[in-house]
Amino acid sequence: MGRNFRFASVVLYGFVSLWSLIVLAPLAWMLFAAFKSRREIFTNPMGVPKTLSFANFSQAWDVGMGTFLLNSALVTVASVAIIVIVSGMAAYVLARSESLWLRLIYLLLVAGFAVPVQAVLVPLFQMLSAAGFLNSRLAILLPYAAYGIPFTTILFFAFFLDFPKELEEAARLDGCSRLATFFRIILPLSGPAVASAAIFQAVFIWNEFLLALLLLTQPGLKTLPVGILQLKGEYSSNWPAVMAGLTIAVIPILLIFIASQKYFVRSLAGLGK
Amino acid sequence: MHSLTLENIVKDYGSFRAIHGVSFAVEPGEFVVMVGPSGCGKSTLLRAIAGLEAIDGGRIVVNDRDISADEPSERGVAMVFQNYALYPHMTVAENMGFALKIAGRPKAEIAAAVERAAQILRITEHLAKKPKQLSGGQKQRVAIGRAITRSPEIFLFDEPLSNLDAALRSQMRIELGRLHAELKATMVYVTHDQTEAMTMASRIVVLNGGRIEQVGTPLELYNRPQNRFVAGFLGSPRMNFFAARIAGVDGDKARVTLDGLEGEETMALAADHGLKPGDEAILGVRPESFAEGAGGWTLAGRVAVVESLGRETLLYADAAPLKTFDSESHEGYVAVHRSSQLAAAPGDAFVFSIRPNSAFLFTREGRTVGFPASLAS
Repeated sequence: MGRNFRFASVVLYGFVSLWSLIVLAPLAWMLFAAFKSRREIFTNPMGVPKTLSFANFSQAWDVGMGTFLLNSALVTVASVAIIVIVSGMAAYVLARSESLWLRLIYLLLVAGFAVPVQAVLVPLFQMLSAAGFLNSRLAILLPYAAYGIPFTTILFFAFFLDFPKELEEAARLDGCSRLATFFRIILPLSGPAVASAAIFQAVFIWNEFLLALLLLTQPGLKTLPVGILQLKGEYSSNWPAVMAGLTIAVIPILLIFIASQKYFVRSLAGLGK
Repeated sequence: MHSLTLENIVKDYGSFRAIHGVSFAVEPGEFVVMVGPSGCGKSTLLRAIAGLEAIDGGRIVVNDRDISADEPSERGVAMVFQNYALYPHMTVAENMGFALKIAGRPKAEIAAAVERAAQILRITEHLAKKPKQLSGGQKQRVAIGRAITRSPEIFLFDEPLSNLDAALRSQMRIELGRLHAELKATMVYVTHDQTEAMTMASRIVVLNGGRIEQVGTPLELYNRPQNRFVAGFLGSPRMNFFAARIAGVDGDKARVTLDGLEGEETMALAADHGLKPGDEAILGVRPESFAEGAGGWTLAGRVAVVESLGRETLLYADAAPLKTFDSESHEGYVAVHRSSQLAAAPGDAFVFSIRPNSAFLFTREGRTVGFPASLAS
């Protein structure tokens, strides 16, 4: 049995290593390419860069990476905050109510989760245009929040179902209103659920491209994925600079992910329950 | 000190009626224990007093003030939960002072109230800790401290000791008794454990199926149970019941026979017994009421199980052909209690007897119609 077990772990580790290689290869390629010249990227596409020049990074930064970073950070933080607060309160009410109407609303939320962004792009654009939100941060903030809410509500709903009712009853006896119970007792004790929901949404919003491209045309409002596109000209593209820009874009989210991967993995592992 | 009155409380869950018009009054400073088997409605009743369950009929009155429709926090009650229900993200002191903080009291007043409660419960050194750093007994003390800090008119306890181990439970029973004497507060306590009820209560309310079976002091209920349910519920091991028959009635005396046993004995009856010759009845004998040797109804049989507890011995015996009336208790054996050490072993022969003046007599419907002579009042 020991021999079988060892064989199985060798196979499993081999598979996981191969998988990691497949995932990491493009990232490594991006990093290497960011240091190459526009010539070297074609003459030596796979190799390690010959020199360690930061020229591409400064070129990328000069297109306005600072502004894009700030925009992305603002949009991500604000959307995630809206998503967590709205989903948290909605999920709490849904988890505690036995009303049939609220059950129906929960089903609608789950259904909303299934609607792809592409299917509603045109009406979404018209709605935001009619509301006068185009080319403001709200144009991107509100759709992001709206798209994050169904999934996060489902995540919180499962968490709140298991939340000990005695604590809420003790809070009621201690004089807390529903809202005070939520903010003083439930939310402080929902750390893992909030963290995992926040990371999940932050990664998605940080990388989102299509909506940002469609709804933000003013350079001062562009987020990172759209901003980096400026390095691609009409006739020629500065690929090393694009790669340098992407490297800069990846670093913040990578750091957040590494710092909180425990919650991220746990939230995905717990989704089945 | 404060009084609590329940008037005709009704509680429905859909079409199921959990509480059928329960009424009783708790006098100021009393320690009332509500006891009954699971599902009897005792916890529902307590939660209704706390305001955690809305009632469908009747009134809950504290000191002439109808609180039936008030918010839980406005009722002047504090509740201690079975699972402690301490807020895990707050320290002990924050847990205890939370209600006062929500009420917007000044910090100095909160600190003083927490300090006073901590001293009463001897948990001052734990005030800065989080609940997860405490043992079960300490957590329960904090939960009680949280109630004391609010200085409520009525304390409510929902099976507060059932999560503790046996040694800690008997220690906390004493502690709660001391606390009641010290605070002189009105307390309502729910438990399914008849030992807790007997040891702590000023008065016991026995509930069954959402109705009150009897209210009285522990010894009143033990000595003068109004029905077979109360007689069987209080006392451990529980009372033995035997199928009986009325052979003849002469005023307030009846000649009684037992199914499966020779002999006819005369028992004194309560004035309104309503028995006729030929009626079926139930004889009740507490485990400690058997006499040694022959006389009266003589039981001879074999010992099946011996429980030697040191200062007392419990024997479970097979007394066939005499049959117990409710075969689910004691596995159909006759339970006998002796307050001494006995050198008995399974398989030993034994001879005990039931003296008619030390037994209870119930109608088949369960009403008590005969009491032991020494306990007749």
